[in-house]
Amino acid sequence: MEDIKKAIIEYAESSKKSKFYFKDMEKAVQNKIPGAKSRDIKKAATELVNEGTLIYFSTGSTTMYGLKGRGITEDK
Amino acid sequence: MAFEPKQPQKKLKYEELRIYTDEELRNYTEEELKNFKVKHSIPDVEELEKGPWPSFVADAKREALHRKKLADDRVMIPKDVVEDLLGQLQLSFDDGETHWKHGGIVGVFGYGGGVIGRYSDVPEKFPSIAHFHTLRVNQVASKFYKTDFLRALCDLWEYRGSGLFNMHGSTGDIILLGTTTEQLEPIFYEMTHELDQDLGGSGSNLRTPSCCVGKARCEFACIDTQDLCYELTMHYQDELHRPAFPYKFKFKFDGCPNGCVASIARADMSVIGTWRDDIRIDQEAVQAYINGEILPNGGAHRGRDWGKFDIQKEVIDLCPTRCMWMEDGKLKINNRECNRCMHCINVMPRALRPGEDTGASILFGAKAPILEGAQMSVLTIPFMKLEPPYDNLKELIDKVWDWWMEEGKNRERLGELIQRHGLWRFLEVIGVPAMPQMVKMPRANPYIYWKEEDVPGGWDRDINDYRARHKR
Ligand code: HEM
Ligand code: HEM
Ligand code: SF4
Ligand code: SF4
Repeated sequence: MEDIKKAIIEYAESSKKSKFYFKDMEKAVQNKIPGAKSRDIKKAATELVNEGTLIYFSTGSTTMYGLKGRGITEDK
Repeated sequence: MAFEPKQPQKKLKYEELRIYTDEELRNYTEEELKNFKVKHSIPDVEELEKGPWPSFVADAKREALHRKKLADDRVMIPKDVVEDLLGQLQLSFDDGETHWKHGGIVGVFGYGGGVIGRYSDVPEKFPSIAHFHTLRVNQVASKFYKTDFLRALCDLWEYRGSGLFNMHGSTGDIILLGTTTEQLEPIFYEMTHELDQDLGGSGSNLRTPSCCVGKARCEFACIDTQDLCYELTMHYQDELHRPAFPYKFKFKFDGCPNGCVASIARADMSVIGTWRDDIRIDQEAVQAYINGEILPNGGAHRGRDWGKFDIQKEVIDLCPTRCMWMEDGKLKINNRECNRCMHCINVMPRALRPGEDTGASILFGAKAPILEGAQMSVLTIPFMKLEPPYDNLKELIDKVWDWWMEEGKNRERLGELIQRHGLWRFLEVIGVPAMPQMVKMPRANPYIYWKEEDVPGGWDRDINDYRARHKR
């Protein structure tokens, strides 16, 4: 779980975009950790959200993830 | 059958939860309303009040006046939110474009859905709606409420939000329209801890499931839609609150093919109650309808005189599969051909009833027209028994989600994935054989692709055996 979380953060920091889809994050993690299950990636992402590292961005119809404090319109 | 709650129900006492006094709730007169002018000039918005239908503008003005007359410390977000909202709407009419930014990072702790961030892009003009976030509240199955709950929710929303809400949004949720970021957590806390009420789904997750009134009130219900809706809502809490799907996914449950929640048009998975034995016929009641002793259609459509009830014209000739006829004064149905359209049953509910071996048809892939046009869901499982805890349905759902989450592109609905890969591929994934009814039209090209496992002996053949019969 910890290595998946690390891979997620690495992806979130290096990704060109400040917000990204779950699928793209999933692919990036699976590139680093072949065989990582999507259920576990989701659990890790949820933990990162709960810890305040990742944030959700939602348009109402679609949800994306982002690294807290990195470029997305945040509430003051 | 008496109502049995699945878990202990919290008794809500409005008297304890209430925030406003009766005087505060009724703090303006109709006379004051007539003379009330919102602070912005809104001629085009007011035009909407003139049509034949009840207008949200008229309702919004009431709320604007009501808030204006509350004391300053009796609301937590600006008193003039509704006036600013109407003002921004007028500006959108003037400019011919919206002034809401699309999306944002709002949510409540641990949830990735249920709150939709909305920000004005002209906050200097309309400061009170600079943030104006929407909350989706998971409606109860079939939308039965106690007034205590509704009053408590109204008070809470007046105090911490705009006071404006929809009963209900298209998906089914109660939609609370407009509050500031700071109020989200307090509202969430009070809803969950005091009102025993959860938020619904939004974004790329399972959306709030919804169902028709079903067995609670309707004699046509072939499945317990409320129980099913509740069970799947609870079973899939993680999918509902923590988005990891390519896009949205909706379940809807209709108790019979009348489809009161229109699941066939609106849900990625539509569950429609049906039966597989014969329509039950009470021949005496059929006669009573023919003799005019019982009103057809349960007495509906009586606005004009349609003449004497004519079973041939109004029932038999309208059966879409022509599977009904009269024989020696008795109504006959060839149930093998009946496609469960409900017409005859709706016209003569005292004489005809759905069969007793009930379950549901499961359909997949309906969606709105963003890509490839709108589409209805495709009948995939003609009949499935549905009894608690519905493991057979859950197993099917898990297979469908595994495939969609693996193969679906970002923002691709299940119906679009099925179109892109072909229905045959979807059927293969869920392990269901194709049936002729799934073919929209006969093949227009002459090629048939076989897979090796479909061909006896596979691709290998004994060439000598072949040559023994076919000369070069
Ligand atoms: C007198 C001239 C021609 C005759 C009699 C002829 C006849 C045919 C026939 C009977 C077929 C089979 C159709 C089918 O399977 O349904 C065919 C296919 C084909 N022909 Fe011709 N053809 C002629 C000229 C041409 C030319 C000039 C080209 C290319 C410039 C061409 C390219 C093709 C191709 C690519 C196919 C295969 C189509 C497919 O597999 O779907 N043919 N032709
Ligand atoms: C000048 C004479 C002919 C020409 C130019 C011609 C051309 C063609 C071509 C290009 C194809 C497509 C082959 C492919 O797609 O692989 C084809 C297929 C075919 N031809 Fe001819 N053909 C001629 C005469 C005939 C005759 C005399 C017969 C029957 C006795 C015939 C029966 C067929 C059949 C049944 C196919 C389809 C084969 C398949 O789909 O496997 N053709 N022909
Ligand atoms: S869908 Fe059928 S069972 Fe449900 S309320 Fe409508 S008529 Fe009744
Ligand atoms: S339910 Fe519809 S198809 Fe079946 S017998 Fe009645 S009218 Fe015909």
